[in-house]
Amino acid sequence: MKPAPFVYRDPATVAEALEALAEYGDEGKILAGGQSLVPLLNMRLAQPQALIDLNRIADLQYVEERSHNGAAGLAFGAMTRQTAVEEHAEPIPLLHEAISWVGHPQIRNRGTIGGSIAHADPAAELPLVFLTLNGAATMQSRSGERVVPAEEFFLFTCTPDVEPDEIVTDVWLPLPLPRTGQAFLEVARRHGDFALVAAAVSLTLDPNGMIADARIALGGTAPTPMRAVRAEASLKGLAPGEDAFDEAAHQAADATEPTGDIHADAEYRRDVAAALVHRALQTAHERVGVAA
Amino acid sequence: MKSQLSVVGHRARRVDGVKLATGRGTFTDDIHIRGLLHAKLLKSPHAHARIISIDTSEAEALPGVRAVITHENVPRIPYTSAGQSWPEPSPYDMYVLDRKVRFIGDAVAAVAAETPEIAERATQLIRVEYEPLPAVLDFHDAMNDGAPLIHDETESYGIYDPAHNVAAHIDVEHGDVARGLAEADIVVENEFFVQYQQHTCLEPHVTIALFDEDRRLVLRTSTQIPYHCRRMIAFALEIPVKDVHVIKPRVGGGFGNKQEVVTEPISAVLAMRTGRPVKLEYTRLEEFTIARNRHPQHIRLSTGIRRDGTILANSLNVLTNTGPYGTHALTVTGNTGTKPLPLYRSPNVKFYADIVYTNLPIAGAFRGYGAPQGFFAMEVQMDEVAEAAGMDPLEFRKLNHIRQGDTDLMSAAAGEGAGKKARVIHSSGLPECIERGAAAIGWHEKRGKPGDGPIKRGVGMAILMQGSGVAGDELAAATIRMNEDASFNLHVGSADIGTGSDTTLCQIAAEVLGVSIEDIVIRSGNTDDITFDYGAYASSTAYITGTCVLKAAEDARNQIVNQAARMLQEDPEGLLVHEGAVRSLSGKSVTLQEIALECLYGEDKTVVIGKGTHATKESPPPFVAMFVEVEVDTETGQVRPVEVVSAVDVGKALNPDICEGQVEGAVAQGLGYALTEEIQVGPDGQVLNPSFMDYKIFCAADMPRLTTILVEAEEPTGPFGAKSVAEIAINGPAPAVSNAIYDAVGIRLHSLPMTAEKVLAALEEKQQS
Ligand SMILES: Cc1cc2nc3c(=O)[nH]c(=O)nc-3n(C[C@H](O)[C@H](O)[C@H](O)COP(=O)(O)OP(=O)(O)OC[C@H]3O[C@@H](n4cnc5c(N)ncnc54)[C@H](O)[C@@H]3O)c2cc1C
Repeated sequence: MKPAPFVYRDPATVAEALEALAEYGDEGKILAGGQSLVPLLNMRLAQPQALIDLNRIADLQYVEERSHNGAAGLAFGAMTRQTAVEEHAEPIPLLHEAISWVGHPQIRNRGTIGGSIAHADPAAELPLVFLTLNGAATMQSRSGERVVPAEEFFLFTCTPDVEPDEIVTDVWLPLPLPRTGQAFLEVARRHGDFALVAAAVSLTLDPNGMIADARIALGGTAPTPMRAVRAEASLKGLAPGEDAFDEAAHQAADATEPTGDIHADAEYRRDVAAALVHRALQTAHERVGVAA
Repeated sequence: MKSQLSVVGHRARRVDGVKLATGRGTFTDDIHIRGLLHAKLLKSPHAHARIISIDTSEAEALPGVRAVITHENVPRIPYTSAGQSWPEPSPYDMYVLDRKVRFIGDAVAAVAAETPEIAERATQLIRVEYEPLPAVLDFHDAMNDGAPLIHDETESYGIYDPAHNVAAHIDVEHGDVARGLAEADIVVENEFFVQYQQHTCLEPHVTIALFDEDRRLVLRTSTQIPYHCRRMIAFALEIPVKDVHVIKPRVGGGFGNKQEVVTEPISAVLAMRTGRPVKLEYTRLEEFTIARNRHPQHIRLSTGIRRDGTILANSLNVLTNTGPYGTHALTVTGNTGTKPLPLYRSPNVKFYADIVYTNLPIAGAFRGYGAPQGFFAMEVQMDEVAEAAGMDPLEFRKLNHIRQGDTDLMSAAAGEGAGKKARVIHSSGLPECIERGAAAIGWHEKRGKPGDGPIKRGVGMAILMQGSGVAGDELAAATIRMNEDASFNLHVGSADIGTGSDTTLCQIAAEVLGVSIEDIVIRSGNTDDITFDYGAYASSTAYITGTCVLKAAEDARNQIVNQAARMLQEDPEGLLVHEGAVRSLSGKSVTLQEIALECLYGEDKTVVIGKGTHATKESPPPFVAMFVEVEVDTETGQVRPVEVVSAVDVGKALNPDICEGQVEGAVAQGLGYALTEEIQVGPDGQVLNPSFMDYKIFCAADMPRLTTILVEAEEPTGPFGAKSVAEIAINGPAPAVSNAIYDAVGIRLHSLPMTAEKVLAALEEKQQS
C-alpha cells in the first residue's frame, strides 16, 4: 500500500523544525530514519497531515563524550544513524552488544537512535539499553529544553514522554563504572526480528567482589521496556553466583506481564525471561574485570 | 561419450542471468500497454455464506470504472484451477465468480477501472447482502454428520463425496498390512501434524489479458503452465482454443503456486467485457490470503518390523485439508504416499487418505507436491523404528531402502500414475549419497554427543526420493531452426520460472549441434510457437523437455549432416559435427555457416528445422541423503541449524551450478517449513499473519552452512543420463531437523513448524516424566 496524502517539510535547523511542528500540532509527525514510521504510513496505520523530516538537520548527527550529573558518558545526536552508533559503541559494552540485534544492516543504515527511543517499542533493543543504564533524553520545543531520565521516559506501549510539540534532540548513555560487566541476550523468531524476550544486565562489584549494583531490564514482556527492580534489589550485597542469579532470574520473570501473540504465548515469554536473565547475569559476571 | 561433453555438464552461465541481474528481464508487468485497465477484487468477509443480493450501481457510477462483474453476469461453468493434463484429476468445483463464498477472501465481484485506486474504491461501493452459513473451520470436523456442506451445488463434478465434504479419497493396499503388523516383532505407531505453508514467490500472480487485432485473447501471465492455461481458459470461458494465446514472460518464482489458473479467468472476462487490456495483479496480502498453500495434514503411520530390523508392514493414513476448493486434492495427497512409501522395501503396504473441504485458505500444488508432508512423517517414523530395533538410523535405512532393479509398486497403485505401469528403478546412487553425506557431516563422530552446557548439539538424517515428471502423463514438443550464421532458434513449450531450465535446454541443444550455448536463441512458454508442453511441474523439464530438445537437435543435426555429405561428397555415416563444423574421417570439413548458407540460398534450398516430441511411461526417481547438524538451546527452545549436507543423485548434473542452486533453494524453503513458516488461521478462518513481517521465511542471515554433493548414477532413460533435481531436497529438512533435535536433547517433535515454544514445552514435558 501507499501512504495517505501528507504535507512534507524538510527543515534545515532544529528551530525551523520546531516551527513546523508547532504549525501542525497533533497532526504533525517527525520523520527520522523512517524504518518504523514509513511502514505505518504505508499500511495507513498512521495518517498524519504533515511529515517534518529531520534528515537535513546535520546538527542532530553527532557522537561525543559528555558527563551528565557527574557521570561520564556518550551523547548521541537524535538523528545519528544506528550504524554510526554501532561504530562508536565499544565504550558501552551493553550498547555494543545490543545494537547488532536491531534489524539488519540495511535497517540500521537508515534508522536513528532518537527514532528508536522515541518510537518506544516495548520489544526494541535501544530503548531497553537506554532504560537499563538509566540514560537521559533531551527534548526541545519552542518553549525550551527538557531532560528526562530513562526511568521516567516510557509511559505506555509506543508512548514515550515526548509532547507533540517536542523533538528528541539528544540521547545520553553512561559509561560503565569500574568492576562492571554487561550482557545483552535476546530470543527472536529469526535474527533481525523484534525480540520475543530480551534481557539486559549491568552488574557492578565492590572491591571485595560483592555485588554493589545490579541493573536488570527486560524487553518484550510488558507494555514498555521494564526494569526488574526486585530482582536487582535481591542481588545487592550478595556474592555473585548460581544461587543469587537463580533467585534474581525468577524474581525478574515473576515481575513480567507478558502477553501472548501469534509468535509466542505468555508462558513461553516468562520462561524465557527467567532463562535469559540468569544467563545474562552469568555472562555479565564473567565479563567483570575483563573490560577493566 | 561422457568425457567428450563440451557444453552439457559444465557450469554454463545462465542464458538469462545477466539480464535478470541487471534488471532488464521483462516480467509480466514490465511492459507498457496503452489503455490498460486495472482490476481489483471484492472479497468475502465471511468464511461461508450465500450471496442474497449484490448491488453494483454505485460502483458502476464511479467515474473511471469500466466494468463490474459478479456471479450474476459471468458464465457459470465449473472448472478446476489445477494446471494438470486433461481431463484434470481435480474436481471441477470452481466458478469465475459464484453465488456462494467458501472462505474469507473468496472473490465476490471484480472491477476494472482506469486506475487501481479507482478500482479499489469501486469495490468498496458494492453492496452485498450475505446469508452467513455455519462453517467448517477445523478439518477434523469436515466429515462429521451434519457438518456444513461446502459444495452443495449440483453443477460441480468430480468431487468424491460432496455429501461429506470429501474432495478425493485414496485406499490402496499391497499384501496384507493387518497380518504384517500382527506378525511383526515390534510395531511403532505415530501421529504427525503439518501446517499451511506459503510459496512466497517474489513475483505475485499477475495477468494482463487483452484482445489482439485478430480478436484473439492474449494472456500475458506469470504461469508455470502456458499450454494447460490456454486449454483451461478456453474451456472455462467457452471460447475456441485457437483464439487463446498465452505468453509466459520471465517469471519470478512459481513453486507450484502458479501451476494454477488464478488471475487469468477474471482478467480475461474483464477484457471481454470492456474490450480493453486488463491487468489483475495480486497484492502481497492477497498472495498470503487467497492464493494457494501447502496442504495441512494429519498423518498416522504404523510400521511393523522383525527383530532383525527388516520391515514387514507399513501403513500410512492421511487426513488432508484442501480448503474450499479441491485443486490438486487427489494428486498432492497421492504423492504423500507414493513418494515415501516405496522408499522402504516392505511386503505389506497400505495407503489410505481422505482429502476434505474446509472454509479455510486454499491449498494447492507446492514444490514437493505432498511429498514433504509424507517424508516428514516417514523419516521421523523410520528414526523411531530404528531406535526400537536398537539400530543406528543410518544402518537401518541402508538395510531397508529401495535398490536399483526394484519395482515401485505404489507408483502404479495410487496418485497420478494410477492404473499405469509400475516403475522399475533403473538407477540409484542412494548408497553413495548415504556414504558421502555421512562422511561430510561427520555422522559417526558426532552422533550421540550432545555436549555440556545448556546448548546441545545433534545430527539427524533423512533419505528421500521423488520423480522426474509424472509417470505416463507427460508430453513435450520442441522445434529448432538453423540460421545463416549457424545460430539456432530453439522453441520449447516449457516454462522457465526462474529455475534455469532455459539454460539447461540450450546446453543440450548446443551439445548435440556442436555449437556453443551462445549460438542458441531460446524462446519458451509461448503457445503460438510450434511447441507443446505440460509445463513446469513434477520436476519434469530437464527430463521430459530435455529429452524432447535432444530429439529435436538430433533431427536438425541429421539434416545438417546430410547436407554436409552432399557438399563434401562423403558418406553421412562417417561425418562428425563438432565445434561449428562437420568433419569427415578423411580430414575434409565444412563449417556450419557454410552449410546454413548453402541450405538457405544454394541449389537445393531447404530450411533445417528439427523437431522432437517426447512422452514416456518412466519417471525415474532422484535420491537424496540429507544430514543436518543443529544446536538446541535447552533454556529457550531455540533451534539453530548449523550445517545441512545434501548428497543428491541427479543422474547427470547437466549444469552443476543450476543443480546446486535448486538444492540450496529447496533446503532454504524446507528449513522454513521445518522451523518457522506457518500460515496461521484464527478461529473465524481469518489469516493472522499475512505479511513478511509476521510470516517467517528463512533469510540469508538464518541459513546454516550448506554442502551439496552431486552424485551421478546415470539414468538410462534420461537425457545424457539426467534425472530431476528441482523438488526433492525440500522434503529433507523437516525430518532431518526433527531427528537431529532428538539426537541433541531426546525429544521427538511430530508437529511443524518446530518453534522454540514447542521445543521448550516438549523439553519440560520430558523433564516431568
Ligand atoms: C524490517 C525491519 C526490522 C526491524 N527490526 C528491528 C529490531 O529488531 N529492533 C528494533 O529495535 N527495531 C527494529 N526495526 C525498527 C528500526 O530500528 C527503526 O529504525 C526504529 O524503530 C525507529 O527509528 P527511525 O529513525 O527509523 O524512526 P522513524 O521510523 O522515522 O520514526 C519512528 C517514530 O518516532 C518518531 N520520532 C523519530 N524521531 C524523533 C525525534 N527525534 N523526536 C521525536 N519523535 C521522533 C516518529 O515521529 C515516529 O513516530 C526494524 C525495522 C524494519 C523495517
